[in-house]
Amino acid sequence: MSRPSDPVDRTRWDEEVRAVRDAGATFFDLLTAVDLEADGFEVVLHLWDPTARQGHLLRTRCPRDDAQVPSLVEVFAGAGWHERAVAELFGITFAGHDTQALLLAESFQGHPLRKDFVLASRVAKQWPGAKDPGESDADLTTKRRRPQPPGTPTGWGRP
Amino acid sequence: MTPYEQGMAVLRAAQGPLPVRSRGIIALLEENCTVCMLCARECPDWCIEIDSHKETLPPRTERGRPRVLHVLDRFAIDFALCMWCGICVEVCPFDALFWSPEFEHATTDAGALVHEREQLREWLATVPVPPALDPAAEPPPERVAADKRTRERRTPG
Repeated sequence: MSRPSDPVDRTRWDEEVRAVRDAGATFFDLLTAVDLEADGFEVVLHLWDPTARQGHLLRTRCPRDDAQVPSLVEVFAGAGWHERAVAELFGITFAGHDTQALLLAESFQGHPLRKDFVLASRVAKQWPGAKDPGESDADLTTKRRRPQPPGTPTGWGRP
Repeated sequence: MTPYEQGMAVLRAAQGPLPVRSRGIIALLEENCTVCMLCARECPDWCIEIDSHKETLPPRTERGRPRVLHVLDRFAIDFALCMWCGICVEVCPFDALFWSPEFEHATTDAGALVHEREQLREWLATVPVPPALDPAAEPPPERVAADKRTRERRTPG
């Protein structure tokens, strides 16, 4: 199992990953990111050491208004795919890598895995739980305070 | 028998019965549903649609009060949205939802993946009998309560 190590300073991100790779963690498993809201973004990398059967979970952080970390394509060529996905979904720039669009439609606006991104389906669709026992859609027109969907920020969804 | 059905018959014969806990599709036992809305509210995918209305029953005794009953009008699960998490089955306090191991419900029409109450009931026939309790397990609370009532009846006083 891999224990998360302390976040690496982003200026040393590629050096640090290279050092871990050269020490035996040659299998690139996963690169993704976490939106920490006010604390910026955390880029998470999981590597596997096939001989020691040991995982390495490396992390680095970047602030929200300067979402940029060094690219790992020079260390692991396969990281390119993951960086393209993270760049598109989180809006993080990977210095030294031309992260062209990978998943979303060309016309898509915004970065859907950022926590401040409003999911269109959560706004367009009426929450089925807003109805109380004994009510149907027609009763939803009555004005009164209704239960809010769990996990959606206030202000989302229909008034 | 279509070639697809033939193929599936061969596959089923080869694999034997599916594990009891297989998550194939969700079945509804309407009689147990009290329209509490818990499943619809807990569903992370918002895929359960429930409509109901209130009916008032006359008092059963002369001094009794009329009772309000919630009657189910619509219960539909949109399996195009469902992610097979099973939270609705777990959260149901009245055992109205069950996992069925049936997995052959693919269709070319996304709209047909909305299973209404009639179809959800059909899946009920495929729900397996739950596995027996571990020999060392505590007896089920229903049985404890029933045994207690029996003892009380035998020893009047």
